[in-house]
Parts: sequence; C-alpha cells; structure tokens
Amino acid sequence: MVVTFPHLGNTYIACKIMFDSLGIDYVIPPLSNKEALRIGAFHSPDEICLPFKIMIGNYIQSIEKGADTVIIVGSCGPCRLGEYCELQMSVLKNLGYQVKFIVVDYPGEIGIKELASRIGYISNQSHKKKIEKLRALYRAVKAIRLMDYIEQSARMIAGYEINRGECKRLLLQCRDRVFNESDPSKALKILKSYKAKLSKIPIDKKRKPLKIAIVGEIYTNIESFANHFIEDTLMDYGIATYKSLSPSWWLKYTGLKVLKLHAVRARLAAKQYLKYEVGAYAKETVGEAVLAYERGYDGIIHLLPVGCMPEIVSKSILTSIAKEKDIPIMTLLFDEMTGEAGYLTRIEAFIDLLERRRRDHVLSWR
Amino acid sequence: MYYLGVDVGSVSTDIVVLDEKLNVYDQVYLRTKGRPIEAIQRGFKQLKNKYKDKEVRAIGTTGSGRGITSFILGADCVKNEITAHAMAGVYYDKEVKTIFEIGGQDSKIILLNQGVVTDFAMNTVCAAGTGSFLDRQAERLGIPIEEFGNYALKSKLAVRIAGRCAVFAESDMIHKQQLGYDSADIIKGLCEALARNYLNNVGKGKDIQPKVFFQGGVAANIGIKEAFEKILGFEIFVPKYYNVMGAIGAALLAKETVESKRCKTNFKGFDISDHVFITNSFQCKDCPNECEVVRILDGEVEIGCFGDRCGKWNQKSHIKSS
Repeated sequence: MVVTFPHLGNTYIACKIMFDSLGIDYVIPPLSNKEALRIGAFHSPDEICLPFKIMIGNYIQSIEKGADTVIIVGSCGPCRLGEYCELQMSVLKNLGYQVKFIVVDYPGEIGIKELASRIGYISNQSHKKKIEKLRALYRAVKAIRLMDYIEQSARMIAGYEINRGECKRLLLQCRDRVFNESDPSKALKILKSYKAKLSKIPIDKKRKPLKIAIVGEIYTNIESFANHFIEDTLMDYGIATYKSLSPSWWLKYTGLKVLKLHAVRARLAAKQYLKYEVGAYAKETVGEAVLAYERGYDGIIHLLPVGCMPEIVSKSILTSIAKEKDIPIMTLLFDEMTGEAGYLTRIEAFIDLLERRRRDHVLSWR
Repeated sequence: MYYLGVDVGSVSTDIVVLDEKLNVYDQVYLRTKGRPIEAIQRGFKQLKNKYKDKEVRAIGTTGSGRGITSFILGADCVKNEITAHAMAGVYYDKEVKTIFEIGGQDSKIILLNQGVVTDFAMNTVCAAGTGSFLDRQAERLGIPIEEFGNYALKSKLAVRIAGRCAVFAESDMIHKQQLGYDSADIIKGLCEALARNYLNNVGKGKDIQPKVFFQGGVAANIGIKEAFEKILGFEIFVPKYYNVMGAIGAALLAKETVESKRCKTNFKGFDISDHVFITNSFQCKDCPNECEVVRILDGEVEIGCFGDRCGKWNQKSHIKSS
C-alpha cells in the first residue's frame, strides 16, 4: 500500500513525519501548483468549488508517482467539502484509476467502531509496535503544532522585523529543511531549532505596522496556493498578519467538538450577528472578524472560493460588521484564474486605504 | 519643472505632463495593443523633443502594466489604479464622495469620506459594461464608438436589454436587432443595462452618495452618464480630464513621494524610446511552484525581474509600491 493525501497547508510535514515513523510507504503530491489545478479543473464538474479541483490535481499527480490509497478527512458535510470524497472517488474511478479511499470522519457521524476500523486499516500496514504507533501520532501532532506556530509567528513578526524579508526567508527555509529530513526525530529537532531562531530575529518593538486579520473559508485560508499566497504578499509589504485557521486549529476544534467546547470565544463573539449554524465555519468567520476588531486590527481580509455557500452568508454579515464597527473588510473571491494583477491591485489598494486611515505613514521606512 | 504620470491600462496607455502648478500641460493617449513597453516608447518619442530630462521632477506609474513600465522608466512611485484615481478625483474636488471608474477591462467603485478612501470594489467575474465590451458592440452596430453616446440621446424609448452578463446582453441585443428595433433605442437600452449591471455588480451593497465623479474612458459615453443619473436620481459629474485621471493621480503621488523622501527622481530620461528592451520569460524549476519569471533586459543589461514567489529572482528589483 502506498498512501497519499491532498495538500492542506503544512499538513504534509506532519503526515510525512507520521508515515516515516510508522514505516508506511507514501507519496506526497507535489505542492499544489498550476499543473495540479489544470488537471483538477479539467476532470472536475464545472460548478464545483476550487478546493475540489486542486485536490483532484493532487491525487492524480500522486497516483502518477505510484500512490494507490488516498487518505482524507471527511467531517461528513459541514458543507460540500464533506461530501467531496464520494464525488472524488467516482471522478477517479471514471478516469480508470484503481485507488482505495480511506475517509477519516468525525466519530459522531460514522460511529466509533467504523472510525476505529478505518484507522485500524492504516495502522495494520505498519509493522511497528503499538507504542511506536502511538509515538508516531504524537510526533505528527507535535510537528503540526510547531510548524503552525512558526508560521503564525513569522507572519506576525514580519511587521516588526528590522532586516526586511528575514521572517519570510526563515519560514521558507524551515519548510524546506524539515521536508528534506527523513528521520522523524531529527525533523522535530529542526522545527524546534527554527522556533528558537524565530524568537531571535531582531525586531523593532516601537514600530506600529498595519495589522490585518485573515478570515474565511478554511481551505482557501490554509492552502496558500488557493489564495495566491496572499500572506507572503502581505509579508513583502511589511504587514503583520494574523490568521486563526490552521491545521492545528482544526485538530483542536474537531477534538473539542465532542465536548462542545470548540472555538468558544469566536462563537460567542459571533452570537450577536449569527445565532445559528449555517454550515462549515461561517460562524467562526463572523466571530473571528468581531474578535479582530476587538483586538485592534486595522483591517480584515475575507477569503472564499467562488460558490462557497456558508461564506456567502458570512460575507453579507461582514458587510454590516464593517459598518457598525467601522473597520474595513475586503472580500477576495478565488477561482481558477491564475492572473495576479487583479488581486495585487486590490491588496495594494486595501493597504493604501488602511494606511491613509491611519494618516501617519508607518510604511515610509521603506 | 514637470511631473509625469503614466497609466498603462489594458486598452490604452496615457501619459500626462503636469506643470509646476499641477495643471495638465500635455497629454498623450495611445493604444496599448497588448505591448506595454512599445506603447511607452512610442509615447516618450512624442514627448522627447518638447521636454528635457532635467525638467522632470518626479514620475509615477499606475495601471495593470505599472510594474513592467516602472523598471523601464525608473518610476519614483508605483501605485495601483484605485489609489491613483482616488487621488486625482480628490485633487479636483475635495467634496467628491463616490468615484465610478470604468476602463477597458475593469470597472471600479471608490467610496471616499473627506478625501480618504473608505471602501472600494472592482468587478469580479463579469466584464459587461467595460470599454472593450462597448467597443465590440459599437463595431457590431457599425457606429463609431465616439458617436455611441449621442445615439443613445436621440432615442425616446429604451429597449430592455438584459445586463446581467456580457454574453446575455450581446445575444439579447442581436435578437432585438433582428426584430428590427431602431439602433438608437437599442443603444439606449444597452446603456441602461450597463449602468444597472454596474450598480448591481460592482456597486452592490455600497452606499452611493453624491457628489459622484465618473472617470475612465467610458465616461466619454454620455448615454451611460445619463443612464446613471436616471437610476440614481442625482447629477453625475464627468471631470474635464476624465480619461487620464489615473495618470494624473500617478503624477500627484510621485510628487508626494519625492517630496516626502526629499530625494531626486529616478527617471531614466526621455531617450528610453531609443533603447531596445527585450523581455523573456522562463519557468523556474527549483520548486513545485514553477513560477513564470519575467526578465526585462535593456540591451544586455538586466533591469528588472519579477513573477517569482520566493524573491530569488527579483531580489535586485524589489517591489517599490505600497
């Protein structure tokens, strides 16, 4: 069995560490790219949203490299994404690929027994001892939390760094080095060393950079390719960016959901504007926007793929939040277009808007 | 002393020369024809004999081709179209609250409060109502685009045309043509459809307050101006230099940059029109991003490089904007 999985931000780093520890053969699809999107868009239904298309591209690029089993998380339909696996199975089947899908789903939906048997199937492929298997899982969780921490901090520190571009370089370097390390314990050490390096980056605490919070649909938030690397762009402009969504956020969220203690603060903050669940993470989007206002962010960027129903709902709520709280919110829609000019113009104009609102030219140090 | 502003749009390239008192002293309008560098060179050839390099105090670029042209011209300020249009609009009238800008490929709405941009939007998925669409329809009707607006004014009854989408609008229009409706009525109908489309699409959810400025090439079309007025119920103003507002904004921003930094201009001189610029693009294979990197060469010398994510190629030529 050779497993593969679709990309979602930094998850490939954790998965690599886990499969390396378990001794299971795996193929990591090439980082989401234009070719993956082209393949995915060609084979997917036209109206389906962007995440689906990129995922199909990921699968096919992996299958071509020898993968025969796809592992995905389902979460049984918070929106269409939960039903993706069924449709993706039939798309791949129609193309003549013989692949097995293992859908790791929320136990509340499929039952603990079924979940155990699905995970058991993966775990039986490994010949390691049980304790080793648990350690593999532990390492993976630790790795993703470290990596997400490094990314989140780097994006925030970028606003304060003295040597321009240092945070971005460090982040790219970290990803690159971890990815090329096949010994799991060494990989974790690398992550820890980068965490330490990050805290040593010279910063100017007196500077008041523009602070932007990013909210919205989970896939376009986490998978940078889907949002045209918006955070990297913002880093180049010397802006401190904060985004709550990450794979480790999702892990925590899903884990705490059993106790109904998931994303408590965001959900409480959202209550005033959106009382009901409207699917996916729309409520969290609204809540995060309110929290961003309370935390004193200068502006909010809302990301969603074309045709995302839950986020369309939150989009219209965000308009009224923008008015009531007097905080600029810009919505960016993403689809198959790979042209950058339109996005750059919007982002630049948004930054200008925030800057002029503040009046003092914080970015004039460039 | 002069300030230069260059707006390299998808359809047209505009160059303005502002004098010391910031009045428009000269302007050049060119078709970009998909070749921004050539358009710029043609433009500067026209200006070359009238001005000296030393007389230029600042130069700014804007428009979708702002990046590439900034390398060639040595721009002091590279700004997006939204900021440039807002800047120019506010310069001419501090009272302006809303700016409609309809250009060749995109349309924008900019909301201002006391001269500060508070909100903006651009067309997302549909190009109905932009200049190139109108161009095409004028051609189909056999009417020169300059006359388009006047035709609309001749009509007394607008034919209803679907404005939701450019393709629907076009097929609706053909259908009405085939039924034998008068061209003037169809044009008026089209103008109204486009104004509706703009307000429903770009202006969706925006609080449109007077005073409204209508800028961009399409503002020449008096039919659309009238359609906007009919729907909104108040007067729309078309500024005198409506078609070069972006370039004026770029020049003003460049002036601001040079003055705040107290530096000299980076302007490379009018004789760039005689240089040979070559651009070549290649796909960087160093990582799976496979960025398409564009390199601009002035003869043999590399003057700019962009398109890469990691900054490996454009390190020498950092984005100067924002």
